Amino acid sequence: MSKIEEVKAMVEAGKSKVVPGLVQEALAEGNSADSILQAMIATMGVIGDKFSAGEIFVPEMLVAAKAMAKGVDVLKPHFSADSRPSLGTCVIGTVAGDLHDIGKNLVAMMIESAGFDVVNLGVDVSAAKFVEAVKENKNVTLVACSGLLTTTMPAMKETVQTLKSCGETGFKVIVGGAPVSPEYAASIGADGFAPDAGSAAVKAVELVKG
Amino acid sequence: MLTKRQNLMETIKGGNPDRFVEQYEFMHFIMEVPGGTFPQPGQTIKNEWGITFKWPEGQIGGFPVHDEEHKVLKDITEWQKYVKAPAVKTSAEAWAPAIEHANSVDRTEEFVTAFVAPGVFEMTHHLMSMEDALMALYEEPEKMHELIDYLTEHELAYAEELINRIHPDCIFHHDDWGSQKSSFISPAMFEEFFLPAYKKIYGYYKANGVELIIHHSDSYAANLVPFMIEMGVDIWQGVMTTNNTPELVKKYGGQLSFMGDIDSGVVDFPAWTPEIAAKEVERACKNCGKLYFIPCQTQGGNWSSFPGVYDAISAAIDKMSKEMF
Repeated sequence: MSKIEEVKAMVEAGKSKVVPGLVQEALAEGNSADSILQAMIATMGVIGDKFSAGEIFVPEMLVAAKAMAKGVDVLKPHFSADSRPSLGTCVIGTVAGDLHDIGKNLVAMMIESAGFDVVNLGVDVSAAKFVEAVKENKNVTLVACSGLLTTTMPAMKETVQTLKSCGETGFKVIVGGAPVSPEYAASIGADGFAPDAGSAAVKAVELVKG
Repeated sequence: MLTKRQNLMETIKGGNPDRFVEQYEFMHFIMEVPGGTFPQPGQTIKNEWGITFKWPEGQIGGFPVHDEEHKVLKDITEWQKYVKAPAVKTSAEAWAPAIEHANSVDRTEEFVTAFVAPGVFEMTHHLMSMEDALMALYEEPEKMHELIDYLTEHELAYAEELINRIHPDCIFHHDDWGSQKSSFISPAMFEEFFLPAYKKIYGYYKANGVELIIHHSDSYAANLVPFMIEMGVDIWQGVMTTNNTPELVKKYGGQLSFMGDIDSGVVDFPAWTPEIAAKEVERACKNCGKLYFIPCQTQGGNWSSFPGVYDAISAAIDKMSKEMF
């Protein structure tokens, strides 16, 4: 098994203590930082698919994402500020009035693992705060809004509409959460919808790559 | 006409009920039992374990706060340093209102019911956040076993007091084990970490005169049903439609009964109507049948988030009883 294959296997197994050493070894073997990064991104794609299919559960996804993050830490010095491949910045948060955290954090991890820089605004985020984050951060290509309560759906609608009319451009808006359907997402003007964290990463890439 | 209690027993034993059990009608909650503090709408409170809960004004639930400042358990490897169980209340004064209420209930008609929440799984993530708790199951399994044992011992100490004071007929025990689409953890992980805890807790209640164990998890948890049966659950309340309830009734009826199949998110929302509730009730009753099934909102209690919804569901169930019995 090549070192890159070992990295992939250990990311998938969520071995965050082993992955940094293997990434070092893969670099020492002459693999480029970018090829190792792409291999880990591909592995997280597999993790996302397995989660969407119900083959694995939240803990497996969490430990895999953590293992990948440890691997990326080793790679970071090998990329200059401008050369690290990125799909841009994703601003993510749970909409105003809603304190649900876990689903949004899973989506954040999977989107980061797919190659985005992530700015996680937390929970109970007002529409104004989303807009502020779009303005303050560089190269925002995606805004992800989460909501788990039927009562916070109006806040989700307000957030999407405020983002769309704020004057900033160059980003797409994706929404998700238990009460959100594709039809509802379309009705409030969102560009995309995903039913779970694995699909969210796939949809995020699709939206940004156009 | 059977009493509420008799009708419930006929339903879950596969006998001859004379109507649908109408949601929570057979449970007489003794809410005066001394339990943990929980916020009211608009409040932020710190409970007896030190966990901060916030309930935003105008919303439908309270949530634990898990930023670095508020997280109780900051490092699972040192859980003993952070987690201090509150003393179970044992004074006569603390229990007097609950005892008085329990004594007033006609137990031939209804089950004297204690509402117990949160459960062991929820406690792990209330203390340390969901991410930390779930990752710790992989990364520090021995410490998680220790923490779960500690939480279980506390539940058992509370159970002892509860039994001695009010002699409940029924325990309505909350512990959400999944999202609407999947269980939070795999069946194998559940079997390793949480099945032993619940076998102890529910086994203790059953061994001390509690007739009915009702477990609430308003989620997907069909993959955990064999464990519910093994731990002694009689009724799973909160079964969502995503579980394919009719199939569960067919497969496990007689070993476990199912209470729910009317998703609260679908019927209990700001723009609710009695017609939506009636449609969902009719679907649930016709699909799931008369035995081993109790039509009920999935919400874990005999109230709704929006006034009128609970009663509208009950009225629709009565209508279906007249039609189907």
